[in-house]
This record gives sequence, C-alpha cells and structure tokens, in this order.
Amino acid sequence: MGPLIPNGMIPIEWDSIIAIFIGIVFGFVLESSGFSSSRKLAGVFYGYDFAVLKVFFTAAAVSVIGLYYMDYLGYLDINQLYVHPTYLWGAIIGGIIMGIGFVAGGFCPGTSLCAVAIGKLDAWVYVAGIMIGVFLFSELYPFFEPIYNGYFLGNVTLIDSFGWNPYWVIFIFSMIAIVAFAISDIVRKKIKSVFY
Amino acid sequence: MDKKKIAKVASFRYKILAIIFLVLAGGLVLLPKYQKQEGIKSEALLSHANSAERYISTDQIANKIINQDPSFILIDVRDEESYNNYSLPNAINIPLKKIFDEESIAYLNQNEFDVIFFSNDNFYADQAWMLCDRLGFKNLRVLNGGLNKWFTTIINPTKPNDDMPDQAFELYTTRKASSMYFGVAYPDQVITDDSSLKTETPKQVITVQKKKKKAAEGGC
Repeated sequence: MGPLIPNGMIPIEWDSIIAIFIGIVFGFVLESSGFSSSRKLAGVFYGYDFAVLKVFFTAAAVSVIGLYYMDYLGYLDINQLYVHPTYLWGAIIGGIIMGIGFVAGGFCPGTSLCAVAIGKLDAWVYVAGIMIGVFLFSELYPFFEPIYNGYFLGNVTLIDSFGWNPYWVIFIFSMIAIVAFAISDIVRKKIKSVFY
Repeated sequence: MDKKKIAKVASFRYKILAIIFLVLAGGLVLLPKYQKQEGIKSEALLSHANSAERYISTDQIANKIINQDPSFILIDVRDEESYNNYSLPNAINIPLKKIFDEESIAYLNQNEFDVIFFSNDNFYADQAWMLCDRLGFKNLRVLNGGLNKWFTTIINPTKPNDDMPDQAFELYTTRKASSMYFGVAYPDQVITDDSSLKTETPKQVITVQKKKKKAAEGGC
C-alpha cells in the first residue's frame, strides 16, 4: 500500500502543499517545545538540558519502530522509502562544521528560522551568517567540488553496507536510547542548574 | 485517594514508557519472519495470464516485420545453439536461465517497446512471460505457437483445398507472399532463365538494292 505518494494514493501534485503543511507544524512544535531558545539548545553540550538529545533520539526511534511494524503488517514497503545518498567525506566534514556552528551559535538551521519568527536578535545574526556561508560556498564551489561530489557511496543504509539484521539494529538502538536518557538525567542532576 | 494512586503511578511514568519502548522494539526481533510477496498481486497475475491479449499470432508478427514496424523487440528465449541455428530476423537471444541478468533486464523492463517472447513452442516463452509479468514489467507478449507455428503458417503454409472458403485462399496468398519475403522460393514464381529454350533469332536479311549504273546522260 504505502508509501502513499510513490504508489499514487496521493497525487504527486500535492507534494508542495503537504510539505508546507508539515513545515508549519514542525516549526510550531519546535517553538512550543522551547527549541527557539539558543540556551536550551546549547544546554546539551554543557550538560544542563538534554531536551535536544531526548527529542531527536525519541523521534528517530519511535518512527523507525513504527515504520518497521507497518512494513511487517504490509501497510508500507520499506524498500520504496527514499534513502538519502551518502557522500562520505562531504558528510563528515559538513557534520564537523555544523557541530561547531551548533555549539558556537546555539542553533541548528531549522531552529534558527524558528527563532527568527519569534523575533530573536541572535537568530537574525545567525541566519545572516548562514547566508554569508552559502555565498562563500557558492563562490568557492569549484574548489570544494571534489569533496562535495566525491566519495559517493550511493543510497546506502547501515543495514546495506554492513549486512546487519534491521530488527536487531532497532532493538539495540532503542536500548542505547534508553541508556542515554538515563545517563543524561544523572548528568543533569550533578550539574549546577542554570537559569535560562 | 484516587489522586494519590495516580500520582504514585505517574512518578514511574518514564520507566513505564521505557519498558513499553523496549517491548515494542523487542517485538520486532521476536516476530516470526515471512517471505514477502514481490511484484504484482496474485489476482492481477491471474487475470493477465487468463487474458488472450498476451498472445500475438504469427501472421501479426510477419506483418509487423515486413512493414518494418519499429515498436517491438523479439526475444528468443531458447538456448544459444538453437538461436544460432535459426531465429526470427532481428531477434535478441535471452535464454530463459539468463532472463534476470543485468543486461537482459534493460530489454525487458522498459515502457517503449512491446516485448515479444518466442521459443520453439510457446511453452518456454510462456514461462518467461510469467516471470517477467509477475515483476510488473509492461507490454509483454508471447508468440502463439512459437517457431513451430511460424514454420507451418508463414514459411510453409498449407495450400487450402478447393472446397474451402474464399478467406482461406486469401490467407494462403498472404502467407505465401510473406514467406517469399522471408526467402522461400516457389517453383511457380521463379522466373526461369533457361537458355536451351531460347530460339535463335533469325538473321534479318536486309536486301539492299544496288543502284544500277546508268549510262551517262548528256549534259547541257
């Protein structure tokens, strides 16, 4: 049956409308759970607030469990889902830069736009920085291109590249998630609470 | 009283959620696995298989080849040796065993051309059709009767008896004409070049009347 759009249950023309709807809902949830505050986001690195870790870990684990149950029951074909292509070194270097920017600025690109929407000045500066970065990248594209387009591994997943059993991966991933939540709670209690 | 109980349970809420989470994840590991159905649904496969539309007759094929119809490709599913012995013009050899090889799939799984399978009978061609149709490939056909029927209808058509209807004679002449296209020679159609029958062209005798000498006549 699913996924709905590739199998024609929902016409492909609805793509943009659905995307706008999901975007609005996503922004609303980010803002209402306090993710437009750079102090809350940076808290995960300083150990006084682990909401980011908990939210994103839970989201990933819940959705992967749900997807595999739907695949098992025949409501969804997991092989038809879009897998983002892997450019190995591009992803590693980009991840490091993104991480540094996250700690330094206190936003990720999505939450920065959320914070712009509620009028935070630091978010304005952050978004301006993103734009400058985009401009520099575009100007220096010929220089970056070998890394940007190189080391292409295709649309692979961990399960494809290592031949793991997906069900065990999910189970172990969920256990890691619960352990991480428990440890983060212990750490948070030991750190002096920060008012923000 | 009730509020106290709820509060007591609620204080364990994260632990309860974690347990539910683990049970659900563990359930995926423990569930019995089964082989998933690949390709189209069995009902669709059955209705495709029952439809007479999947066959194409030898006459239609002969007509297409003669008119140089570009909309189809012929796939010979017999082995290589038989293919090298005889095959239809412009046929591609994909033996049944190699039907899902990477280079074969490009011919079979496309939407531009009709794919026509044939073998000696339509037996192996039917198998090839079934395997490909099940995977959802489009525009697949089977040559009805295969190469055997091709020989009995197109290459060597049987002459209708005198008491047969007019259409039979028409069909025969069409088939005969197409067999001539595929290189069959008929004695009544051969233009013989027999030199012994040639009669020598008689030499034409052109008599040239010689001018008689006349006596010189007197001038002025």
